[in-house]
Amino acid sequence: MIKISHLKKEYPSATPLRDVNVEIHKGDVISIIGPSGTGKSTLIRCINMLETPTAGEIWVDGECITDKKCNINKIRQKMGMVFQSFNLFNHMNVIENIMAAPVDLLGKSKQEAYDKGIELLRTVGLADKAFNYPDVLSGGQKQRVAIARTLAMEPEIILLDEPTSALDPTMVGEVQAVIKDLAKKGLTLMIVTHEMRFAREIANRVFYMDDGGVYEDGTPEQIFDNPQRERTIRFIKHLKVFEKLITSKDFDFIGFNTELEEFGRRNQVPQKTIYRGGSVFEELVMQCLLPNLEKEFHLNIAFEYAQGTETLSMSLKYDGAHFDVRNTPNIVSLAIAENASESIEYTEMDADGFTNLVSVKIK
Amino acid sequence: MTIEKILDGTRLTVAIAGRLDTTTAPQLEAELKQSYDGTEKLVLDFAALEYLSSAGLRVLLAAQKVMNKQGEMVIRNVNETINEIFEVTGFVDILTIE
Repeated sequence: MIKISHLKKEYPSATPLRDVNVEIHKGDVISIIGPSGTGKSTLIRCINMLETPTAGEIWVDGECITDKKCNINKIRQKMGMVFQSFNLFNHMNVIENIMAAPVDLLGKSKQEAYDKGIELLRTVGLADKAFNYPDVLSGGQKQRVAIARTLAMEPEIILLDEPTSALDPTMVGEVQAVIKDLAKKGLTLMIVTHEMRFAREIANRVFYMDDGGVYEDGTPEQIFDNPQRERTIRFIKHLKVFEKLITSKDFDFIGFNTELEEFGRRNQVPQKTIYRGGSVFEELVMQCLLPNLEKEFHLNIAFEYAQGTETLSMSLKYDGAHFDVRNTPNIVSLAIAENASESIEYTEMDADGFTNLVSVKIK
Repeated sequence: MTIEKILDGTRLTVAIAGRLDTTTAPQLEAELKQSYDGTEKLVLDFAALEYLSSAGLRVLLAAQKVMNKQGEMVIRNVNETINEIFEVTGFVDILTIE
């Protein structure tokens, strides 16, 4: 139904979408999740051309909508959009808001549009508000009207951009219930959301967005219970990460320690734990690894703190010859590192240019 | 790291505060080298030492070797965390910890 290939969107200061390749099938209900700034909203705004892609193609029902010759207004009629900020016309009452587009764009008679509008208001539980103006409605009611208005255009696809994030928490439920009803009706939905439980319940597919594209695509069970890729795992498990790439033996060790301590304070890592983390880092990296690495090297270090389980782990990835740091002749450093760790594991790897991986669970 | 030295005849007390690690250990090493002459008892006061790594241990070991020849060396006011480092590395058997 929608096919996106090599979609890129670049702004002067950021490139939220670098290379998106994805296919959306009729009847898919897709939750789009991921950290801020990863292009979730940009993606759905590109799909109905509210944003013009920098490169790439988007096909909707066999028509290339990124082609300049494409009649985008015709395509847009197939796609409804629900915004975070409702975007109702405040000078029109509720039913007028809903009737405007079907009368103007679909050429429906006023009676027809009115009847349909009332019916839709019933489905979102607001038939008694038909003659009220938006400014007397609550946020949740406004958003339900906005959804009814979108439905009045009889779209095949509905794009929802954080539909509940501007709402008071008490009103989130009523709007989510309406969206769940839409999902059951077989409409194709794409929903950008930060509410993980909702994302999981409503969707048959979840896009985890990161690193310039759809980083992981799977069923809700796959993404939430068994994520496969590194960034997805971090996001799902609420991992707090402190990561650095070291490429010189003269790197700023003092600055590194200061940042590590700051990371610990910010994420409520117990002081003793962060102390041990720093100690393992110094013994394994400064004392055992750096003297062994070649002149030109890349060493990626990541501390991950899982707030749920209150566990700190450290991973070291480095290039060059295979070297198991546990075989270091420096037994004093190794003894200190081992004492501060639950486990130190080594594996040979071959990814992203790295050949060695050390995984440490800090005590 | 800050280092404070008090000389009382042939007895030198060196109080070390902060971190004794890869970057600061050479500083302590240099300070001690200047002070060995005429010292018969070297007291290292660790009351304000917060962190000790193997780099620091190496400096302590070198100091112990020097003092073995010309007198004695003791380490005082060792906190629990630092003591753990001495224990797991076997340094408790080499150093005199009071």
